Amino acid sequence: MNALLISLEVLLGLFIGTYCIAVLQQLMLLGLRRVGIAFTLPIANAVQLLRQENLVPRGADFFLYRSAPFIALAVVALTALVIPLGPNLIGFDPSIGLFYFIVLLSPFVVAMMNAGWSQNSKEGLFSTFRAAAYLVSYEVPIGFAAIGPVMAAQSLSTQHIVQSQAGLWYVVWQPLGLAIYLLAALFVSFRHPFDSALAGDELEGGVFAEYSGVRLLLFKVALDAIFLILMSMGILLFFGGWQGPLLPGPLWFVLKTLVLSALVLWAGRFLPRLRHDQILTLSWKILLPASLVNITLVGILTLVIPGGS
Amino acid sequence: MTGNADSATRKRPGWFARLTHMPRHYFAVDGGSGAHLLTALSQRSPYAERVASPRHANLLVVVEPISEKLVPAIVEIAQALPRPAHALLVGGPEAVCDSSTETKPADLQKVLPGSRHLQQVSVEGLLDAVLDRSDESELIVSDGSEVDSPTIQLPSRQQQEMATELAVLSLGPIQPFTAGPLRLFLICDGEQVLSVQVESGYASRGIAEAMMQGDWQQALSLARQFDPLAPIAGQLACIRAIEQLQGWSPPTLLVKLREAALALERTQNVLWWLVRFAEILDVAQLLDRSYSLASALDECSARLWQQSPTTWLLPQYSGTTAMLDKNTATLTRLRQVAESLTALQRDVERNRWPALRTRSIGMLSTARLQAANVTGPVLQASEQGEGDVEGRLRTRLQLASGDLLEVAETLAAEQFLPAHAAYWTIPAGEAHAEVKGPRGTIGLHLESSDNEKPSRIEWQSPSAALLPLLPEILAGQKLADAEVIVASLDLAMAEADG
Repeated sequence: MNALLISLEVLLGLFIGTYCIAVLQQLMLLGLRRVGIAFTLPIANAVQLLRQENLVPRGADFFLYRSAPFIALAVVALTALVIPLGPNLIGFDPSIGLFYFIVLLSPFVVAMMNAGWSQNSKEGLFSTFRAAAYLVSYEVPIGFAAIGPVMAAQSLSTQHIVQSQAGLWYVVWQPLGLAIYLLAALFVSFRHPFDSALAGDELEGGVFAEYSGVRLLLFKVALDAIFLILMSMGILLFFGGWQGPLLPGPLWFVLKTLVLSALVLWAGRFLPRLRHDQILTLSWKILLPASLVNITLVGILTLVIPGGS
Repeated sequence: MTGNADSATRKRPGWFARLTHMPRHYFAVDGGSGAHLLTALSQRSPYAERVASPRHANLLVVVEPISEKLVPAIVEIAQALPRPAHALLVGGPEAVCDSSTETKPADLQKVLPGSRHLQQVSVEGLLDAVLDRSDESELIVSDGSEVDSPTIQLPSRQQQEMATELAVLSLGPIQPFTAGPLRLFLICDGEQVLSVQVESGYASRGIAEAMMQGDWQQALSLARQFDPLAPIAGQLACIRAIEQLQGWSPPTLLVKLREAALALERTQNVLWWLVRFAEILDVAQLLDRSYSLASALDECSARLWQQSPTTWLLPQYSGTTAMLDKNTATLTRLRQVAESLTALQRDVERNRWPALRTRSIGMLSTARLQAANVTGPVLQASEQGEGDVEGRLRTRLQLASGDLLEVAETLAAEQFLPAHAAYWTIPAGEAHAEVKGPRGTIGLHLESSDNEKPSRIEWQSPSAALLPLLPEILAGQKLADAEVIVASLDLAMAEADG
């Protein structure tokens, strides 16, 4: 009963958070003068997709095509379990919370690959290849970026990582780790400018090219939700999680997550959509060496900073 | 572009109305004349969003005229739309070319029964029609004909670098990279384009043939449609040829005014191209700035002339300065737009981020371009620099900025011209005239055997000169770069197909 209640709470929180991300995106597009539209348009878009026909292309893989959006959403819900909104306000608190989180990110990309491959179209297949390339590329940098806070906190528990930042947020002495984490997080969530698997005009919408109706809505929700989850994990790893003066912990956590999400979305406005080879170059030639440098620096600083560990 | 009413003055819906207001996700089909209109629409309202796949759309917007060759592709798209779906056909009577020609426009009302038809082609009118759900009936597709899939000759395994499985990707004929339909078959080895086959003719309207069937006035009217995105350039080419036949030289002031109208049209074209290009690059900041500039310039242009340039451009016709609205506010606004464009040009040159996707791709040498008779910004970009996509972007902005500053100066000066009506007696003979259009030099060779109508007409199209170069410019490039390279050439398919 308790588990069911927690699951429902996590799902509710996830949907509200996803709505907030959709509103933020609209605000970035429309500006602050059209706040009303920014708040209502995501709901109207969702209703419109709910009313739309669910098409299945000719020759599509029966199981993979239908299950892909549900797998994506399920993965997001499972990763959300280990995000603590406040002290002991967490769905599931294993001692290896961060490891569990990073491992579960892979099935999300697998869901995207299933979606592309199962459509029985060349465009979908090309998108799948791109998604697969990203899967291999982001895994190492995001893992290495997360090792910094783990080394400093001496724990893989998400709650403990937040508590260990009571004196000093890790962003202060691990800015490189934050930068690597955010870039890798954009890879995972297929966000602009790393969204060529989804949004390339040459592939007519990429992985989602053949999806419509509820299934498309589920994918859109899953994409916004994974972005939200990754940003909240960023807050947890580098910005002290729920910690902050005066306001209640959960409110701090939500505020920090939304501010970080807004900043990342805003920064993306200045960049063009990157080509797949540029993304891979960034990952293997820049992020990977940088993350190794980061680990070395963090190791030294952990020994030097009093109370660093 | 006309009808640019300030969106702030439009009645704004309340909170509840907004919640119940269903957004439109539309898939746009441009028959060749609607690129600017559809680009303006895509940025006009958050409730009308253009989508890349017909599966995501609930409305099909088709800008007519549509050639018979394009109909199967439209049918295929209409069938791909999830239901409930609707169709909106857009096109004024002027957009439909002479039905006596061999290249008759298709009757889409028959192909897509239940679709609504909109004659008015202003952005605001189109937006209202897109958002309006009254009198809307379900889209029915009457014709089940399929798009031809031509046999593509693949290179042998020995000719391939890695001997992997090749894939043929068909881009188009309906795609956002060109103004109008064009089909590209990309033979890809993974993400690398090995070779390309181009299939054009989807926007063909037989303008030259139609011009030879009517009288001189009809020919002039049809000349406006040679490039529907630059009607002044087409008409001016025809007028210059006629005036050559008449042996009449226009006074300097009229020449200046004509050049100003032409330069204004060139700048408008560059700005709407830039909006499309920023959409393809997906740089939101560049998109916002270019869209606001393009809209502002359209607004200025609509207020600038008391008489439409198509009226006072007629052969040997001279108006007075009355045709120019000497409203100081409009001229001041024009100067502001010119300054903003110069600032944008500087920012684009300074901002290195877009160069990530534009530098060192799609390079064309000056010698190759000259051999192919290419003119305009594409050639100038190669002459001034490397001739890559970035160079073409910079050159276009530089030219547009210079054009607009010159227009602002020309129009601000006091000018008086003698006024007399158009003179229509055309002697027999032949003439060749050239006009600097937005995509290069538009040429017209004209022959007249009597006073009634032209006996031979031959157009020189700047976009058509670029089409044969597509296979060599795209071969060896990345698949993702193909769209950026093609978009950088600013091909107007109506003009290329004639």
